[in-house]
Amino acid sequence: MRKRTLKRGLTGFWWLTLVFLYLPLAVVVMFSFNAANSAASMTGFSLRWYHQLFANDQIMSAFGNTLVLALASSLIALAIGCLIGYGMYRHRHRKLGWLIVLIYLPIVLPDIVFGISEMAFFVKLHELTGWFKPGLGTMIIAHVTFQIPFVALIVYSRFVGLDPTLFEAAKDLYATPIKRVVHFMLPTIKPALISAFFLSFTLSVDDFVISFFTSGPESATLPIYIWGAIKKGVSPEINAIATLMIAAVALAAVASLAINRRKA
Amino acid sequence: MNDTAVLGRSRAMVTETRHLLFTVSPGAAWIILFLVLPSAYLMGVAFMTNGPYGLPEMPLSLESFRQLAGFGFLGWSPGNLYTLLRSLWQTVVATGLVVVVAYPIAYYITTCRARWRPIMLLLVVVPSWTNQVIRTFGWMNLLAPGTPLSAAAETLGLIAPNMGLYPSNFAVTLGLVYNFLPFMVLPLYAAFEKLDTAQVEAAQDLYATPIKAFWHAVFPQTLPGLLAGVVLVAIPAFGMYVIPELLGGGKALMLGNLVANQFSGGSNWPLGAAGAILMLLATFAGLYAMRRIGKRLGGGEEVVI
Repeated sequence: MRKRTLKRGLTGFWWLTLVFLYLPLAVVVMFSFNAANSAASMTGFSLRWYHQLFANDQIMSAFGNTLVLALASSLIALAIGCLIGYGMYRHRHRKLGWLIVLIYLPIVLPDIVFGISEMAFFVKLHELTGWFKPGLGTMIIAHVTFQIPFVALIVYSRFVGLDPTLFEAAKDLYATPIKRVVHFMLPTIKPALISAFFLSFTLSVDDFVISFFTSGPESATLPIYIWGAIKKGVSPEINAIATLMIAAVALAAVASLAINRRKA
Repeated sequence: MNDTAVLGRSRAMVTETRHLLFTVSPGAAWIILFLVLPSAYLMGVAFMTNGPYGLPEMPLSLESFRQLAGFGFLGWSPGNLYTLLRSLWQTVVATGLVVVVAYPIAYYITTCRARWRPIMLLLVVVPSWTNQVIRTFGWMNLLAPGTPLSAAAETLGLIAPNMGLYPSNFAVTLGLVYNFLPFMVLPLYAAFEKLDTAQVEAAQDLYATPIKAFWHAVFPQTLPGLLAGVVLVAIPAFGMYVIPELLGGGKALMLGNLVANQFSGGSNWPLGAAGAILMLLATFAGLYAMRRIGKRLGGGEEVVI
């Protein structure tokens, strides 16, 4: 009897928490279709903010920057992180404490410390060398830095999960190291590479603080543009971009669920 | 001993070391060059003097730390101390509230049918995949003056008329809880899933009250998950920048804002760097404390994230 009351109470609490989690997103989506220029009351349905969105050059260039940044940084981080992940696996019996500390550093460092360190450092480097002007280049460097650990850890855990005798078999099958990499290693860790790429991509699109401090005047990404618009006083277009970004996330969620289902 | 064998073994070791260097050095060099060196430079900046344009200059001094403690041109003022205490207070309250919400949620998910659990976890996590700025913007819309939530709070007499729930310290706490809830639910869920129910049944057989059964049979088993969650929530919460900036409206600044404002306004880099050092010390102290507690509980390995 008491057990059933507990279960019912928990069910109620679960739905309440879901409302709490989705209410702020729902409000953004709802106001993106608002006919009036207001964030307080809905007056009617309209798509005008979406039309304005596509006519706004700043937003379109911010969208382009977001994509270029996420793609370029994820690809670089994939190559570098994949190498470290394999190195960590192959040499896991050695004392590699320093490497573990180094790899966890970008994860545990507070975003704001991460961002301002790089900003101060790039400003100094620009002063000294003339390179490293704040812009997409410095942002890509910063993003790769926080993506490497995630790629390395995902690839490492995939290798750890493999049967060690597979490596011996591959040695017997393929004579040269290059053939081993192409015909054995890359195909076996393909799932890890795919999920590492998607995680890196998501981390990049999701990041605001580090991008904000390493960006230049020309390299605003969507989150930076949205931040600026909020600070200047809200324009309803923000709701429309935000809704599109939420839709992308929802799509990714459904896709991940479908992939998990197929695996099971 | 056979000379060629020794030679062969040492040659193998050389190849292995070369392999280690080849795989590990690009990434290690990247992190050292673009994170370790910048952090070291930032720490150096904290010990420099603030120049006329807010940029660091020689000579070295401890002036920035004096300023961080509140000493300025006009004598001592408590502003920075308040900011620091507010950061600590917000972190403690938000982490506590997150635990209170996440505990029943994580438990509830484990009581549901196995095929529903991944979907339920996904539902909890998905909002945190959207950009932090967007999520916080959603709360600004919800809590602004004139919205149903603010009106309800007004009728209940919780806030003054036309004030709105945002900007305020309350809005910042709410934003923090919202932001970090998934980070607590996931490790707690992992702990609940492994829970040994025999212990709970034993406690019930011995006529333990539900509270006693929870305290002695359930709580210790979920502690590693709880500690992992506290690390994942409290450390980033202490350095939070976006949420206090947007939901606090300049009146509820935290350490992250104090630090950032010294750089974005270009006002005082050494002061900002001194604040960053404080944040780093707090981060490493927190990590170290959690490791110690985790080790004493014997679950040391699980607490490592």
